[in-house]
Amino acid sequence: MSFILQKDHLNSFARKLMKTARLVAPVRNRYGDTLLTEVDDPYAVAIDLDSQAQESAKPFLFPQLQTLFTYGKDDYLFSEVNEARPTVFLGLRSCDVAAILYMDVIFLKDRKDPYYKKRRENTVLISLGCNDPFENCFCLAAKSGPFLEFGFDLQLTDLGDRFYVETGRAKGDLIVDEWRQFFRPAGEEDDKARYQATLEARGRFKRQVLVDVAVRNLEAGLVPDTVWRRLSSRCQDCGGCAYICPTCTCYNLVDAAVPGGGGERRRVWDACTFAGFTMMAGGHNPVDMERERVKRRFQHKLLHDVRRHGRPSCVGCGRCVGMCFGGVDIVKFIEMATREEGI
Amino acid sequence: MTGLATTFGSGAMTNSINEIERAQAVLVTGSNTVKTHPQVARRILAAVDNGAKLIVVDPRRSPLAARAHVHLAVRPGTDIPLINGMMRVILDENLADDAFIEMRTENFFALRDMLYRLDLDEVAAVTGVPLGRMAQAARMYARAHNAVVCYCLGMTQHVCGTDNVQAIANLAMLTGNVEKECTGVDPLRGQNNVQGACDMGALPGVFPGYQAVADSAVRERFACAWQTDLPDAPGLTVTEMTHDGGVRGLVVFGENPLLSDPSLPTVERAFDGLDFLAVSDLFLTETARRADVVFPAASFAEKDGTFTNTERRVQRVRKAIDPIGQSRSDLEIVMALSRRLGYAMDYSSPAEVMEEIALLTPIYGGVYYDRLEGWGLQWPCPDRRHRGTQFLHKYSFARGRGRFIPVFHQPPSEVPDDSFPLVLMTGRRYHQYHTGTMSRKSPLFNRECRQAALEIHPDDAARHGVRDGDMVALSSRRGTIRIKARLTTAVKPGEVFASFHFAESPINRLTVAAGDPRAKCPEFKVCAVRVAPDDSGPKEKRPA
Repeated sequence: MSFILQKDHLNSFARKLMKTARLVAPVRNRYGDTLLTEVDDPYAVAIDLDSQAQESAKPFLFPQLQTLFTYGKDDYLFSEVNEARPTVFLGLRSCDVAAILYMDVIFLKDRKDPYYKKRRENTVLISLGCNDPFENCFCLAAKSGPFLEFGFDLQLTDLGDRFYVETGRAKGDLIVDEWRQFFRPAGEEDDKARYQATLEARGRFKRQVLVDVAVRNLEAGLVPDTVWRRLSSRCQDCGGCAYICPTCTCYNLVDAAVPGGGGERRRVWDACTFAGFTMMAGGHNPVDMERERVKRRFQHKLLHDVRRHGRPSCVGCGRCVGMCFGGVDIVKFIEMATREEGI
Repeated sequence: MTGLATTFGSGAMTNSINEIERAQAVLVTGSNTVKTHPQVARRILAAVDNGAKLIVVDPRRSPLAARAHVHLAVRPGTDIPLINGMMRVILDENLADDAFIEMRTENFFALRDMLYRLDLDEVAAVTGVPLGRMAQAARMYARAHNAVVCYCLGMTQHVCGTDNVQAIANLAMLTGNVEKECTGVDPLRGQNNVQGACDMGALPGVFPGYQAVADSAVRERFACAWQTDLPDAPGLTVTEMTHDGGVRGLVVFGENPLLSDPSLPTVERAFDGLDFLAVSDLFLTETARRADVVFPAASFAEKDGTFTNTERRVQRVRKAIDPIGQSRSDLEIVMALSRRLGYAMDYSSPAEVMEEIALLTPIYGGVYYDRLEGWGLQWPCPDRRHRGTQFLHKYSFARGRGRFIPVFHQPPSEVPDDSFPLVLMTGRRYHQYHTGTMSRKSPLFNRECRQAALEIHPDDAARHGVRDGDMVALSSRRGTIRIKARLTTAVKPGEVFASFHFAESPINRLTVAAGDPRAKCPEFKVCAVRVAPDDSGPKEKRPA
């Protein structure tokens, strides 16, 4: 079913959602940065649905540093730490929802990760399609946007004075049922306007990124070693790409002492571009960091995940383009890997 | 600092970091830029992409040296003869910028006479750099319309550090590569705010803004603002405090001299002789452990203020979280301390401190907090209407004319001999920061770089019976440490390299305290050592 929600009513609707869950939305802070932030009062902060949030929803579902369990100093009493608050994400972009669907595959399909599972089950996704893609976006090429077919609970489309609201998963229907007063069924004019918006959005991408060609070239072994070598030698080893990436899910487990004795097991983000990721205890590293530092990252995104899960795990959010100061982001790689196409 | 100040009249990076991208030649000397200044290295590499020539002077084959058009692998401590040699080639091949020399500089004849007396074969013998390659580098640098020199502690941490810098300044002036956009002489400052600390007079002889304490007019202005009498004699440098003795009370802010200062046994004696020691730091460092009082300092995320980066840019740092536990911002600590000492400082905020800086410091004259939104301001910024200065010395040097000062080779304070046959150079690793006070608290950094390593050439290793991964005993005239050997051809035979981050292998037990007589910067980059297999202790010492 499709509905219409007046823009003026968005904040009042958001306040209703906060009765049973915390609300997380892109908020412009006083330094001008838009970040996904927990909202206490939707009228007191600047919910910013016109910019791309600097970070995806990854840190909420899979935190950069997460304590898994604690243990005592002398005994072997372990106590698990796994808490998740019900959370409604409002205004997540299509790419970020697609990234969550990818994380579902990684954490839930075989591994059934209890920490991720608990957080994910307590999550409602209200996404916002992109009428006007941002500077570095290429979700159309990565087939994860600018509008979604599935995966969301509710999807909003900006129609100027109102939002066109589609229900996806069951939670979305429940929300509309519960807060019926905000919604009216969409009419034919609304459907047309929505269709026009999605059509026009496709023509507004500022970058042409040939994701499918890169995938094909990787599969056919047409990406020469010089591409890896050139990019790897430029990588500055900061790990920013993996940290900002909504689909990079590698982590490391570390133990830390806690004040007063005992310790805790922590899960922290990791990145395959770090030497220590593959370094063995004796100091040998099977990956030649000078020549292949970024190889696994791009192969994972565009080759291995295509083989394993049927689609690349780059969702085209473009965040790494803005993040990488060595100029070895995935767009640069795709440009180099598709040069043979003569485009 | 001292070198550039004497020659140009101002001791700071002359241009902006972004300009490096548009240079036609980049000469990098004494800097492992890719590892220590990645944001600068990225611009250098971008310049190379745009067709610039890259010349790297470095005894080691650093990652940047590996990508250079010309890598001049000098012997440590022979930078002056190398640069003099390059200048001689420039004169001989008529590549000097005569108009620039005529219009903007003075004392050229002294330099010219010195260069004409130079024996290039001797230069090649001293530096270990073949004449042809040196000439090639000289031509690349001199023929570019815009050429940049980036240098770092590899130039300054020598007994002849000031002269090294003057040699670079001579080279830049000889070819007219200053006073324009995309040219210049760029000292790369190591920490986020070391430029700011110098600007604020954290040097013995100057008040904020490099105003000499010896100048009575300056002293009067500060005495009036601070309402107290001010001494007219310069204070002590760090090496004087920690090596010459006589200091009885010491307050240390965010430093760890018991690991970072040269010739540690002497430093330890100086600390033993203290009546009172107070240390302000985030963690209980080697130095803080010996303190009578420790002030719990707040981290960057817990305080408001400004940092001034290497391109003279004053930028805001903003408090993101409240101080954890009982920690306090530096300003609060200083104010509380001064109150107890009977001089009540009362600033309501860092912005009020900045107002005082603007009042008393001409180069910061227009720097106010309300103007620092966005990317901040680059000094000199003399008044509120001034928009900051992208590159220095436009139309004329700060001191009027740039002064050529001929400089001569001065051997390091300690050269290898039969008992200590290797030259030890010290430096930094990418994943650790200084004495590891902060970076060694991170499991990730520790995984990436968990212990000190001595880079040694396989030939030397074979000669001394050392295999890759062995723990070795590394000794100098001042002491012995244990360190793991890593065989690599990135260092030349006869030279070894290690970093100073790790308390388990405190490399500064070995270094010499001798330093540049003017800047007082110790010679961290050269000392004589010997290496021997070490069988004492556990085979492998891992951090807990």
